[in-house]
Amino acid sequence: MPPWIAVLIVVVLVAMTAITGWALRRRESHPRRTKTTDLEWLAADVRGPNATLVQFSTQMCARCPHVRRMLGELAEVTDGVTLAEVDLTHQSELAKRLHILQTPTVFVVDATGAVRSRFAGVPRRDAITAELDRVIGEPTHA
Amino acid sequence: MPDAPAGIDPRGPRFGAAITSLLLLVVILLGLTGLSTATSTAAFGWFAYQPLSSHAFFPTAFVIAAAPVGARILDPAFLLLLVIALLFLWGVLSPRTAPWGVLYRKAVQPRLKPPTELEDPRPPRFAQGVGLLVSVVGLLLQLAGVPWGLPIAAVAAFVAAFLNAVFGFCLGCQMYLLLARWGLVGRRAAA
Repeated sequence: MPPWIAVLIVVVLVAMTAITGWALRRRESHPRRTKTTDLEWLAADVRGPNATLVQFSTQMCARCPHVRRMLGELAEVTDGVTLAEVDLTHQSELAKRLHILQTPTVFVVDATGAVRSRFAGVPRRDAITAELDRVIGEPTHA
Repeated sequence: MPDAPAGIDPRGPRFGAAITSLLLLVVILLGLTGLSTATSTAAFGWFAYQPLSSHAFFPTAFVIAAAPVGARILDPAFLLLLVIALLFLWGVLSPRTAPWGVLYRKAVQPRLKPPTELEDPRPPRFAQGVGLLVSVVGLLLQLAGVPWGLPIAAVAAFVAAFLNAVFGFCLGCQMYLLLARWGLVGRRAAA
C-alpha cells in the first residue's frame, strides 16, 4: 500500500475515534427516562424522602470514585435526597435484571420509589441537578 | 472496599495510554505499508505491475500468506507490537515499575498540581490485561499469516488507548461488568 494511503487511513481513524469519544461523552449526560417500579433491590431505609440517587459501581470502575464524590456533594446540598451505592462486582444477577451494561450507572429514584431516569456513564453535575428538579417537582437544591 | 489498595493519580494511566496510542499509530502505519497488507500479482511477480491493465486479469495474493515465519516476525509492525505487548504485560505484572508510570511520576507529576482525588489501581491494571490480549491476538494472526490481522488488532487497541488518554473512557474497565454478567470474572466470593 502506498504510504500516503496509509497516512490517510490513520488520519481518518484518529478523527473517527475522536468524534466517537466526543459523542460518547455527550450521551453520558443525556438520561434515559424510565418508570420502573421494581424496587426490591433498594432497601427502604436508604431511600431519601424526596429522591434517591443510586450509583452502581464495580471494583474495576475507574471513574466511579469521582462520580460518587460529586453525587455525595449534590445529595448533601439538596433537601431530602440521599445517595445509595450498589457494588455490582459480585451481583451479576442484579446487573442483568436492571439491564446495567456499564459502570458507573446512576439511577434517579423518586419519593414513591420509582426509577425515573438513568444515566449510563459519567454525567455532568448540572444534568443530575436538572433530573432531580424534575423528579422532585420543584427546585430545592442550593 | 476494605481491601482496596492505595490509590494512584488517575492522570498516570492516561499519560501511559497517550504514549501507547501514539506507538499503536506507528504500528498501524507500519502494518499498512508493510508485510501485513502487501499484495502481489500471483502469476507474474512484482514486475508485472501495469497501471493500464485491469487487476481483474491478475489475481492478487497476499505476500504474508507465502512468507516464511521468520519474515512475519521480522516485519517492523510485528516487532513494535511485540514491544507494546511486553509493556502491557509489564503493566499487568508490576504496575508500580512499568516504564510509562515511572516516567509519569518522575518527569510529569512534579510539574502538575497534586491530584484532587486518587483512583483504585485495579481497573487500569485490568485494562492493561485487555490491551495485552488484543495485542497478542494481533501477533498470533500475523504469525499464522493472516492478512490484515495485525493492523486490525492494532486499530482496536488504538481506539481503546486513545479514548482513555483523551476522554478518560476506560473500555477495558467497562468490559469488566459485561464479563462479570457473563460469569467470566468476579464469581469468587468477595474477599
